[in-house]
Amino acid sequence: MIASKLEFKSPKDIEEAVRFYREFQGEAVYLSGGTDLVPRMKLGLEKPKAVIDLKRISPLTTVEDQADWIRIGALARIFDLKQNELIQDFFPALEASLEATSCESLQMRGTIGGNLLQNSRCLFYNQSEFWRRSKGFCLKMGGERCNAVPGAKTCFANYCSDNAPGLSTLSAELECTGPDGVRWLNLEDLYTDKADKPFNLRPGEILTAILVPKKRTAGGYKKLRVRGAIDYPLLGVAFSFVDGTGKLAVGAVGPKPYVVEMKKPPQDTIGEAVKAVLKQVRPVGNTVLDPDYRKRMISVLAAKLVNKVMEGVK
Amino acid sequence: MARCKVTLQVNGKSMELDVKPSETLLETLRDRLELTGAKEGCGLGACGSCTVLLNGLPTRSCIALTAELDGAEVTTIEGLADGTELDPLQKSFMEKGAVQCGFCTPGMVLTAKSLLNRNARPTRQEIIRSMSSNLCRCTGYKKIIEAVEAVSSTESPKK
Repeated sequence: MIASKLEFKSPKDIEEAVRFYREFQGEAVYLSGGTDLVPRMKLGLEKPKAVIDLKRISPLTTVEDQADWIRIGALARIFDLKQNELIQDFFPALEASLEATSCESLQMRGTIGGNLLQNSRCLFYNQSEFWRRSKGFCLKMGGERCNAVPGAKTCFANYCSDNAPGLSTLSAELECTGPDGVRWLNLEDLYTDKADKPFNLRPGEILTAILVPKKRTAGGYKKLRVRGAIDYPLLGVAFSFVDGTGKLAVGAVGPKPYVVEMKKPPQDTIGEAVKAVLKQVRPVGNTVLDPDYRKRMISVLAAKLVNKVMEGVK
Repeated sequence: MARCKVTLQVNGKSMELDVKPSETLLETLRDRLELTGAKEGCGLGACGSCTVLLNGLPTRSCIALTAELDGAEVTTIEGLADGTELDPLQKSFMEKGAVQCGFCTPGMVLTAKSLLNRNARPTRQEIIRSMSSNLCRCTGYKKIIEAVEAVSSTESPKK
Protein backbone atom coordinates (compact mmCIF):
# COMPACT_ATOMS: atom_id res chain seq x y z
CA MET A 1 0.00 0.00 0.00
CA ILE A 2 1.23 3.46 -0.84
CA ALA A 3 0.77 5.51 2.30
CA SER A 4 1.33 9.00 0.97
CA LYS A 5 -1.41 11.09 -0.58
CA LEU A 6 -0.77 11.71 -4.22
CA GLU A 7 -1.94 13.64 -7.20
CA PHE A 8 -1.70 11.87 -10.53
CA LYS A 9 -0.93 13.74 -13.73
CA SER A 10 -0.84 12.40 -17.24
CA PRO A 11 0.73 15.05 -19.50
CA LYS A 12 0.43 14.88 -23.28
CA ASP A 13 3.86 16.36 -24.00
CA ILE A 14 7.17 17.21 -22.35
CA GLU A 15 6.29 20.88 -21.86
CA GLU A 16 3.15 19.95 -19.95
CA ALA A 17 5.11 17.43 -17.86
CA VAL A 18 7.65 20.08 -16.86
CA ARG A 19 4.81 22.51 -16.13
CA PHE A 20 3.24 19.99 -13.74
CA TYR A 21 6.61 19.55 -12.05
CA ARG A 22 6.78 23.31 -11.44
CA GLU A 23 3.19 23.33 -10.19
CA PHE A 24 4.17 20.96 -7.41
CA GLN A 25 7.25 23.03 -6.61
CA GLY A 26 9.59 20.17 -7.18
CA GLU A 27 7.76 17.69 -4.96
CA ALA A 28 6.75 15.52 -7.89
CA VAL A 29 8.31 12.48 -9.52
CA TYR A 30 8.22 11.36 -13.13
CA LEU A 31 6.85 7.87 -13.76
CA SER A 32 7.84 5.63 -16.64
CA GLY A 33 7.54 1.85 -16.17
CA GLY A 34 7.27 2.18 -12.40
CA THR A 35 9.21 -1.00 -11.62
CA ASP A 36 11.64 0.96 -9.44
CA LEU A 37 9.54 3.96 -8.43
CA VAL A 38 6.36 2.20 -7.26
CA PRO A 39 8.18 -0.25 -4.94
CA ARG A 40 10.11 2.75 -3.57
CA MET A 41 6.84 4.57 -2.86
CA LYS A 42 5.43 1.45 -1.21
CA LEU A 43 8.45 1.23 1.09
CA GLY A 44 8.18 4.92 1.91
CA LEU A 45 11.56 5.64 0.33
CA GLU A 46 9.88 8.12 -1.97
CA LYS A 47 7.03 10.33 -0.73
CA PRO A 48 6.12 12.64 -3.61
CA LYS A 49 3.10 14.92 -3.68
CA ALA A 50 2.48 14.06 -7.30
CA VAL A 51 3.29 11.41 -9.85
CA ILE A 52 3.69 12.65 -13.41
CA ASP A 53 3.20 9.76 -15.82
CA LEU A 54 5.28 10.12 -18.99
CA LYS A 55 3.82 7.08 -20.77
CA ARG A 56 1.30 9.01 -22.87
CA ILE A 57 4.08 11.03 -24.51
CA SER A 58 4.54 8.82 -27.55
CA PRO A 59 7.73 10.36 -29.09
CA LEU A 60 9.58 9.14 -26.00
CA THR A 61 9.20 5.50 -26.97
CA THR A 62 10.69 5.44 -30.48
CA VAL A 63 14.06 4.20 -31.71
CA GLU A 64 15.42 6.27 -34.59
CA ASP A 65 18.22 5.49 -37.00
CA GLN A 66 19.95 8.84 -37.46
CA ALA A 67 23.02 9.38 -39.62
CA ASP A 68 25.69 9.03 -36.92
CA TRP A 69 23.58 7.98 -33.98
CA ILE A 70 20.91 5.58 -32.91
CA ARG A 71 18.46 7.61 -30.84
CA ILE A 72 16.65 5.51 -28.26
CA GLY A 73 13.60 7.13 -26.67
CA ALA A 74 13.98 6.93 -22.90
CA LEU A 75 10.58 5.28 -22.51
CA ALA A 76 11.30 2.45 -24.95
CA ARG A 77 10.58 -0.82 -23.16
CA ILE A 78 13.44 -3.18 -22.35
CA PHE A 79 11.54 -6.09 -23.94
CA ASP A 80 11.01 -4.21 -27.22
CA LEU A 81 14.56 -2.91 -27.35
CA LYS A 82 16.20 -6.30 -27.00
CA GLN A 83 14.29 -7.41 -30.10
CA ASN A 84 15.18 -4.28 -32.07
CA GLU A 85 17.32 -5.13 -35.09
CA LEU A 86 19.41 -1.96 -34.87
CA ILE A 87 20.36 -2.75 -31.27
CA GLN A 88 21.11 -6.36 -32.18
CA ASP A 89 23.23 -5.40 -35.20
CA PHE A 90 25.21 -2.53 -33.71
CA PHE A 91 25.30 -2.92 -29.93
CA PRO A 92 25.63 -6.54 -28.77
CA ALA A 93 26.78 -5.42 -25.29
CA LEU A 94 23.50 -3.56 -24.87
CA GLU A 95 21.45 -6.39 -26.32
CA ALA A 96 23.02 -8.79 -23.82
CA SER A 97 22.42 -6.47 -20.88
CA LEU A 98 18.79 -5.91 -21.92
CA GLU A 99 18.31 -9.67 -22.02
CA ALA A 100 19.92 -10.00 -18.57
CA THR A 101 17.71 -7.30 -17.03
CA SER A 102 15.32 -8.71 -14.45
CA CYS A 103 12.76 -11.07 -16.02
CA GLU A 104 10.59 -11.03 -19.12
CA SER A 105 7.45 -9.65 -17.41
CA LEU A 106 9.35 -6.77 -15.86
CA GLN A 107 11.18 -6.14 -19.13
CA MET A 108 7.75 -5.63 -20.71
CA ARG A 109 6.99 -2.87 -18.20
CA GLY A 110 10.41 -1.37 -17.52
CA THR A 111 11.97 1.24 -19.79
CA ILE A 112 15.58 1.94 -20.72
CA GLY A 113 15.44 5.44 -19.22
CA GLY A 114 13.92 4.13 -16.02
CA ASN A 115 16.58 1.44 -15.86
CA LEU A 116 19.32 4.08 -16.10
CA LEU A 117 17.68 6.31 -13.49
CA GLN A 118 16.86 3.58 -10.97
CA ASN A 119 18.00 4.60 -7.54
CA SER A 120 21.00 2.96 -5.89
CA ARG A 121 20.31 -0.03 -3.64
CA CYS A 122 21.50 -1.40 -0.32
CA LEU A 123 20.41 -4.32 1.84
CA PHE A 124 19.95 -1.86 4.72
CA TYR A 125 18.05 0.71 2.66
CA ASN A 126 15.56 -1.13 0.43
CA GLN A 127 13.44 -2.18 3.39
CA SER A 128 10.12 -1.19 4.91
CA GLU A 129 9.87 2.01 6.91
CA PHE A 130 9.25 -0.03 10.08
CA TRP A 131 12.44 -2.03 9.50
CA ARG A 132 14.48 1.07 8.74
CA ARG A 133 13.12 2.98 11.72
CA SER A 134 14.04 0.19 14.12
CA LYS A 135 17.61 0.20 12.82
CA GLY A 136 17.91 3.98 12.72
CA PHE A 137 17.96 5.98 9.50
CA CYS A 138 21.12 5.79 7.41
CA LEU A 139 22.87 8.47 5.36
CA LYS A 140 20.77 7.78 2.29
CA MET A 141 17.58 8.30 4.34
CA GLY A 142 18.82 11.58 5.78
CA GLY A 143 20.35 10.02 8.92
CA GLU A 144 23.89 10.46 10.14
CA ARG A 145 25.44 7.04 9.86
CA CYS A 146 25.89 4.18 7.45
CA ASN A 147 24.16 0.98 8.54
CA ALA A 148 26.24 -1.19 6.21
CA VAL A 149 29.68 0.01 7.31
CA PRO A 150 29.72 1.06 10.97
CA GLY A 151 31.42 4.40 11.42
CA ALA A 152 31.45 5.29 7.73
CA LYS A 153 30.44 8.81 6.73
CA THR A 154 29.89 7.87 3.09
CA CYS A 155 27.03 5.96 1.54
CA PHE A 156 27.93 2.64 -0.08
CA ALA A 157 24.70 1.84 -1.92
CA ASN A 158 25.16 0.14 -5.28
CA TYR A 159 23.88 1.43 -8.60
CA CYS A 160 22.33 -1.71 -10.07
CA SER A 161 21.41 -0.77 -13.62
CA ASP A 162 22.21 -3.68 -15.92
CA ASN A 163 22.23 -1.46 -18.98
CA ALA A 164 24.43 1.40 -17.75
CA PRO A 165 27.71 -0.56 -18.07
CA GLY A 166 26.82 -1.65 -21.61
CA LEU A 167 25.84 1.88 -22.64
CA SER A 168 29.05 3.19 -21.03
CA THR A 169 31.15 0.90 -23.22
CA LEU A 170 29.26 2.29 -26.22
CA SER A 171 30.04 5.93 -25.29
CA ALA A 172 26.35 6.79 -25.03
CA GLU A 173 25.13 10.33 -24.53
CA LEU A 174 21.93 11.49 -22.90
CA GLU A 175 19.36 14.04 -23.99
CA CYS A 176 17.61 15.69 -21.08
CA THR A 177 14.75 18.17 -21.26
CA GLY A 178 13.82 20.38 -18.37
CA PRO A 179 12.61 23.83 -17.32
CA ASP A 180 15.69 25.38 -19.01
CA GLY A 181 15.28 23.51 -22.27
CA VAL A 182 17.28 20.66 -23.78
CA ARG A 183 20.85 19.70 -22.88
CA TRP A 184 23.11 16.81 -23.75
CA LEU A 185 25.58 15.10 -21.49
CA ASN A 186 27.89 12.12 -21.64
CA LEU A 187 26.51 9.14 -19.78
CA GLU A 188 29.47 9.21 -17.39
CA ASP A 189 28.54 12.78 -16.41
CA LEU A 190 25.15 11.59 -15.23
CA TYR A 191 26.76 10.20 -12.09
CA THR A 192 27.71 12.20 -9.02
CA ASP A 193 29.85 9.37 -7.59
CA LYS A 194 27.81 9.77 -4.41
CA ALA A 195 25.60 6.78 -3.67
CA ASP A 196 23.06 8.67 -1.56
CA LYS A 197 22.30 11.06 -4.46
CA PRO A 198 23.57 9.25 -7.52
CA PHE A 199 22.44 11.49 -10.42
CA ASN A 200 23.42 14.88 -11.77
CA LEU A 201 19.97 15.72 -13.12
CA ARG A 202 18.66 19.24 -12.58
CA PRO A 203 15.30 19.73 -10.85
CA GLY A 204 12.44 18.93 -13.19
CA GLU A 205 14.67 17.50 -15.89
CA ILE A 206 13.42 14.49 -17.85
CA LEU A 207 15.74 12.01 -19.50
CA THR A 208 14.20 12.05 -22.98
CA ALA A 209 16.61 10.00 -25.10
CA ILE A 210 19.79 7.97 -25.14
CA LEU A 211 22.05 8.60 -28.12
CA VAL A 212 24.51 5.91 -29.07
CA PRO A 213 27.19 6.45 -31.77
CA LYS A 214 26.16 4.37 -34.78
CA LYS A 215 29.14 2.07 -35.04
CA ARG A 216 28.99 -1.67 -35.50
CA THR A 217 30.62 -2.98 -32.33
CA ALA A 218 31.50 -6.37 -30.93
CA GLY A 219 30.58 -6.85 -27.31
CA GLY A 220 28.81 -8.61 -24.48
CA TYR A 221 27.65 -8.48 -20.87
CA LYS A 222 28.10 -10.83 -17.94
CA LYS A 223 26.09 -10.66 -14.76
CA LEU A 224 26.61 -12.13 -11.32
CA ARG A 225 23.40 -12.93 -9.46
CA VAL A 226 22.05 -15.54 -7.11
CA ARG A 227 19.07 -16.66 -9.20
CA GLY A 228 19.12 -16.95 -12.96
CA ALA A 229 15.94 -14.87 -13.10
CA ILE A 230 14.60 -11.57 -11.78
CA ASP A 231 17.57 -10.57 -9.56
CA TYR A 232 19.40 -7.27 -9.64
CA PRO A 233 23.08 -7.62 -10.58
CA LEU A 234 25.51 -8.21 -7.72
CA LEU A 235 28.14 -7.42 -10.31
CA GLY A 236 27.77 -6.57 -13.99
CA VAL A 237 30.61 -6.51 -16.52
CA ALA A 238 30.19 -5.13 -20.03
CA PHE A 239 32.67 -4.94 -22.88
CA SER A 240 32.52 -3.39 -26.35
CA PHE A 241 35.15 -3.31 -29.08
CA VAL A 242 35.23 -0.95 -32.06
CA ASP A 243 37.91 0.68 -34.23
CA GLY A 244 40.69 -1.25 -32.51
CA THR A 245 39.75 -0.03 -29.05
CA GLY A 246 37.96 -1.88 -26.28
CA LYS A 247 35.99 -0.48 -23.38
CA LEU A 248 35.29 -2.41 -20.21
CA ALA A 249 32.67 -1.24 -17.73
CA VAL A 250 31.91 -2.69 -14.32
CA GLY A 251 28.63 -2.02 -12.55
CA ALA A 252 26.77 -2.80 -9.29
CA VAL A 253 29.89 -2.40 -7.11
CA GLY A 254 29.52 1.30 -6.36
CA PRO A 255 27.43 4.35 -7.22
CA LYS A 256 28.27 4.35 -10.95
CA PRO A 257 29.74 2.12 -13.67
CA TYR A 258 33.54 2.09 -13.71
CA VAL A 259 34.84 2.39 -17.25
CA VAL A 260 38.31 1.58 -18.57
CA GLU A 261 39.54 2.04 -22.12
CA MET A 262 41.67 -0.76 -23.55
CA LYS A 263 43.78 0.60 -26.40
CA LYS A 264 46.19 -2.31 -26.82
CA PRO A 265 44.75 -5.68 -27.89
CA PRO A 266 42.15 -6.21 -25.14
CA GLN A 267 42.95 -9.91 -24.61
CA ASP A 268 46.47 -8.92 -23.56
CA THR A 269 45.46 -6.16 -21.18
CA ILE A 270 42.62 -7.67 -19.18
CA GLY A 271 44.75 -7.77 -16.01
CA GLU A 272 45.70 -4.13 -16.40
CA ALA A 273 42.11 -3.03 -17.01
CA VAL A 274 40.79 -5.00 -14.05
CA LYS A 275 43.49 -3.50 -11.86
CA ALA A 276 42.39 -0.01 -12.88
CA VAL A 277 38.79 -0.88 -11.96
CA LEU A 278 39.77 -2.47 -8.65
CA LYS A 279 41.55 0.75 -7.63
CA GLN A 280 38.21 2.56 -7.79
CA VAL A 281 35.56 0.11 -6.59
CA ARG A 282 34.62 -0.37 -2.99
CA PRO A 283 32.18 -3.23 -2.55
CA VAL A 284 31.02 -3.66 1.05
CA GLY A 285 28.74 -6.08 2.87
CA ASN A 286 25.48 -4.57 1.68
CA THR A 287 24.27 -7.27 -0.73
CA VAL A 288 23.49 -10.96 -0.31
CA LEU A 289 27.00 -11.92 -1.48
CA ASP A 290 30.32 -11.45 0.25
CA PRO A 291 32.04 -8.24 -0.95
CA ASP A 292 35.39 -9.94 -1.38
CA TYR A 293 33.81 -12.57 -3.62
CA ARG A 294 32.15 -9.89 -5.74
CA LYS A 295 35.46 -8.10 -6.07
CA ARG A 296 37.30 -11.26 -7.09
CA MET A 297 34.60 -12.10 -9.62
CA ILE A 298 35.36 -8.88 -11.53
CA SER A 299 38.52 -10.38 -13.02
CA VAL A 300 36.82 -13.74 -13.63
CA LEU A 301 33.88 -12.26 -15.54
CA ALA A 302 36.06 -9.70 -17.35
CA ALA A 303 38.48 -12.36 -18.60
CA LYS A 304 35.67 -14.68 -19.74
CA LEU A 305 33.83 -11.87 -21.47
CA VAL A 306 36.74 -10.14 -23.20
CA ASN A 307 38.23 -13.40 -24.48
CA LYS A 308 34.87 -14.58 -25.77
CA VAL A 309 34.08 -11.31 -27.55
CA MET A 310 37.58 -11.04 -29.07
CA GLU A 311 37.37 -14.62 -30.38
CA GLY A 312 34.59 -13.41 -32.64
CA VAL A 313 36.54 -10.36 -33.90
CA LYS A 314 38.37 -11.00 -37.17
CA MET B 1 -6.48 14.95 -3.32
CA ALA B 2 -8.03 14.65 -6.73
CA ARG B 3 -9.37 11.23 -7.59
CA CYS B 4 -8.85 9.74 -11.04
CA LYS B 5 -11.50 8.58 -13.46
CA VAL B 6 -10.31 5.50 -15.26
CA THR B 7 -12.01 3.31 -17.84
CA LEU B 8 -10.87 -0.30 -17.83
CA GLN B 9 -11.95 -3.33 -19.78
CA VAL B 10 -11.78 -6.08 -17.16
CA ASN B 11 -12.32 -9.62 -18.43
CA GLY B 12 -14.24 -8.24 -21.38
CA LYS B 13 -16.46 -5.94 -19.33
CA SER B 14 -16.03 -2.20 -19.63
CA MET B 15 -16.10 -0.33 -16.35
CA GLU B 16 -15.63 3.23 -15.21
CA LEU B 17 -13.80 3.56 -11.94
CA ASP B 18 -13.10 6.44 -9.64
CA VAL B 19 -9.83 5.62 -7.90
CA LYS B 20 -7.31 7.14 -5.54
CA PRO B 21 -4.10 8.06 -7.40
CA SER B 22 -2.11 5.80 -5.08
CA GLU B 23 -4.30 2.75 -5.67
CA THR B 24 -2.56 -0.19 -7.34
CA LEU B 25 -4.25 -2.35 -9.94
CA LEU B 26 -4.07 -5.27 -7.50
CA GLU B 27 -5.98 -3.26 -4.88
CA THR B 28 -8.57 -2.28 -7.49
CA LEU B 29 -9.03 -5.88 -8.61
CA ARG B 30 -9.14 -7.49 -5.19
CA ASP B 31 -10.77 -4.86 -2.98
CA ARG B 32 -13.01 -3.02 -5.39
CA LEU B 33 -13.95 -5.60 -8.00
CA GLU B 34 -13.69 -8.67 -5.72
CA LEU B 35 -11.51 -10.48 -8.22
CA THR B 36 -9.28 -12.22 -5.71
CA GLY B 37 -7.52 -14.56 -8.12
CA ALA B 38 -4.44 -12.32 -8.34
CA LYS B 39 -2.51 -12.70 -5.09
CA GLU B 40 -0.33 -10.30 -3.20
CA GLY B 41 3.02 -11.96 -2.52
CA CYS B 42 6.00 -9.68 -2.08
CA GLY B 43 4.05 -6.52 -2.97
CA LEU B 44 7.16 -5.14 -4.64
CA GLY B 45 7.00 -6.59 -8.13
CA ALA B 46 9.48 -9.39 -7.53
CA CYS B 47 7.51 -12.63 -7.15
CA GLY B 48 4.87 -12.43 -9.88
CA SER B 49 1.95 -13.87 -7.88
CA CYS B 50 -0.11 -10.75 -8.68
CA THR B 51 0.39 -11.16 -12.44
CA VAL B 52 -2.53 -10.22 -14.68
CA LEU B 53 -2.60 -9.55 -18.40
CA LEU B 54 -2.50 -5.90 -19.33
CA ASN B 55 -3.28 -5.45 -23.02
CA GLY B 56 -2.27 -9.08 -23.41
CA LEU B 57 1.09 -8.85 -21.63
CA PRO B 58 1.87 -10.20 -18.16
CA THR B 59 2.09 -7.37 -15.64
CA ARG B 60 2.72 -7.23 -11.92
CA SER B 61 -0.52 -5.63 -10.75
CA CYS B 62 0.97 -4.79 -7.32
CA ILE B 63 3.29 -2.17 -8.83
CA ALA B 64 1.00 -0.74 -11.52
CA LEU B 65 -1.08 2.26 -10.48
CA THR B 66 -4.67 1.99 -11.69
CA ALA B 67 -4.57 5.69 -12.53
CA GLU B 68 -1.94 5.09 -15.21
CA LEU B 69 -4.02 2.44 -16.99
CA ASP B 70 -6.90 4.44 -18.45
CA GLY B 71 -8.21 2.62 -21.53
CA ALA B 72 -6.36 -0.62 -20.82
CA GLU B 73 -7.63 -4.16 -21.19
CA VAL B 74 -7.11 -6.32 -18.12
CA THR B 75 -7.50 -10.10 -18.00
CA THR B 76 -7.41 -11.83 -14.64
CA ILE B 77 -7.46 -15.55 -13.95
CA GLU B 78 -11.25 -15.27 -13.46
CA GLY B 79 -11.56 -14.22 -17.11
CA LEU B 80 -9.80 -17.20 -18.60
CA ALA B 81 -12.43 -19.93 -18.46
CA ASP B 82 -15.25 -19.95 -20.99
CA GLY B 83 -18.24 -20.26 -18.65
CA THR B 84 -17.65 -23.53 -16.83
CA GLU B 85 -15.20 -24.75 -19.47
CA LEU B 86 -11.67 -24.24 -18.18
CA ASP B 87 -8.95 -22.94 -20.46
CA PRO B 88 -6.69 -25.74 -21.81
CA LEU B 89 -3.83 -24.28 -19.77
CA GLN B 90 -5.85 -24.50 -16.56
CA LYS B 91 -6.75 -28.10 -17.36
CA SER B 92 -3.15 -28.89 -18.14
CA PHE B 93 -1.96 -27.43 -14.81
CA MET B 94 -4.45 -29.74 -13.08
CA GLU B 95 -3.59 -32.81 -15.13
CA LYS B 96 0.16 -32.42 -14.79
CA GLY B 97 0.05 -31.69 -11.05
CA ALA B 98 1.57 -28.25 -11.59
CA VAL B 99 -0.28 -26.86 -8.57
CA GLN B 100 0.65 -27.43 -4.96
CA CYS B 101 -0.32 -24.63 -2.59
CA GLY B 102 -1.75 -22.72 -5.57
CA PHE B 103 -0.66 -19.24 -4.52
CA CYS B 104 1.49 -18.63 -7.59
CA THR B 105 -0.83 -20.49 -9.97
CA PRO B 106 -2.97 -17.60 -11.29
CA GLY B 107 0.17 -15.65 -12.17
CA MET B 108 1.84 -18.70 -13.66
CA VAL B 109 -1.17 -19.55 -15.84
CA LEU B 110 -1.50 -15.98 -17.11
CA THR B 111 2.20 -15.64 -17.88
CA ALA B 112 1.97 -18.89 -19.86
CA LYS B 113 -1.23 -17.72 -21.56
CA SER B 114 0.43 -14.56 -22.79
CA LEU B 115 3.43 -16.50 -24.07
CA LEU B 116 1.26 -18.95 -26.01
CA ASN B 117 -0.85 -16.14 -27.45
CA ARG B 118 2.32 -14.52 -28.80
CA ASN B 119 4.06 -17.74 -29.76
CA ALA B 120 1.90 -20.84 -30.17
CA ARG B 121 4.87 -23.21 -30.37
CA PRO B 122 7.54 -21.99 -27.97
CA THR B 123 10.65 -24.08 -27.41
CA ARG B 124 11.29 -25.49 -23.94
CA GLN B 125 13.92 -22.78 -23.48
CA GLU B 126 11.45 -20.05 -24.42
CA ILE B 127 8.93 -21.47 -21.96
CA ILE B 128 11.53 -21.51 -19.20
CA ARG B 129 12.57 -17.94 -19.99
CA SER B 130 8.99 -16.65 -19.81
CA MET B 131 7.98 -18.68 -16.78
CA SER B 132 11.04 -17.64 -14.82
CA SER B 133 9.26 -14.30 -14.34
CA ASN B 134 7.18 -16.01 -11.67
CA LEU B 135 8.37 -17.61 -8.45
CA CYS B 136 6.94 -20.83 -7.03
CA ARG B 137 8.05 -22.05 -3.62
CA CYS B 138 6.51 -25.55 -3.86
CA THR B 139 6.71 -27.32 -7.17
CA GLY B 140 10.31 -26.95 -8.30
CA TYR B 141 8.93 -25.69 -11.65
CA LYS B 142 9.28 -28.99 -13.51
CA LYS B 143 5.55 -29.74 -13.57
CA ILE B 144 4.72 -26.16 -14.47
CA ILE B 145 7.02 -26.25 -17.49
CA GLU B 146 5.52 -29.61 -18.48
CA ALA B 147 1.98 -28.25 -18.19
CA VAL B 148 2.77 -25.35 -20.52
CA GLU B 149 4.66 -27.60 -22.90
CA ALA B 150 1.72 -30.03 -23.10
CA VAL B 151 -0.65 -27.29 -24.24
CA SER B 152 1.78 -25.72 -26.67
CA SER B 153 2.37 -29.03 -28.41
CA THR B 154 -1.24 -30.12 -28.72
CA GLU B 155 -3.30 -27.17 -29.89
CA SER B 156 -3.26 -23.57 -30.97
CA PRO B 157 -4.17 -21.26 -28.13
CA LYS B 158 -7.41 -19.36 -28.09
CA LYS B 159 -7.30 -15.59 -28.07
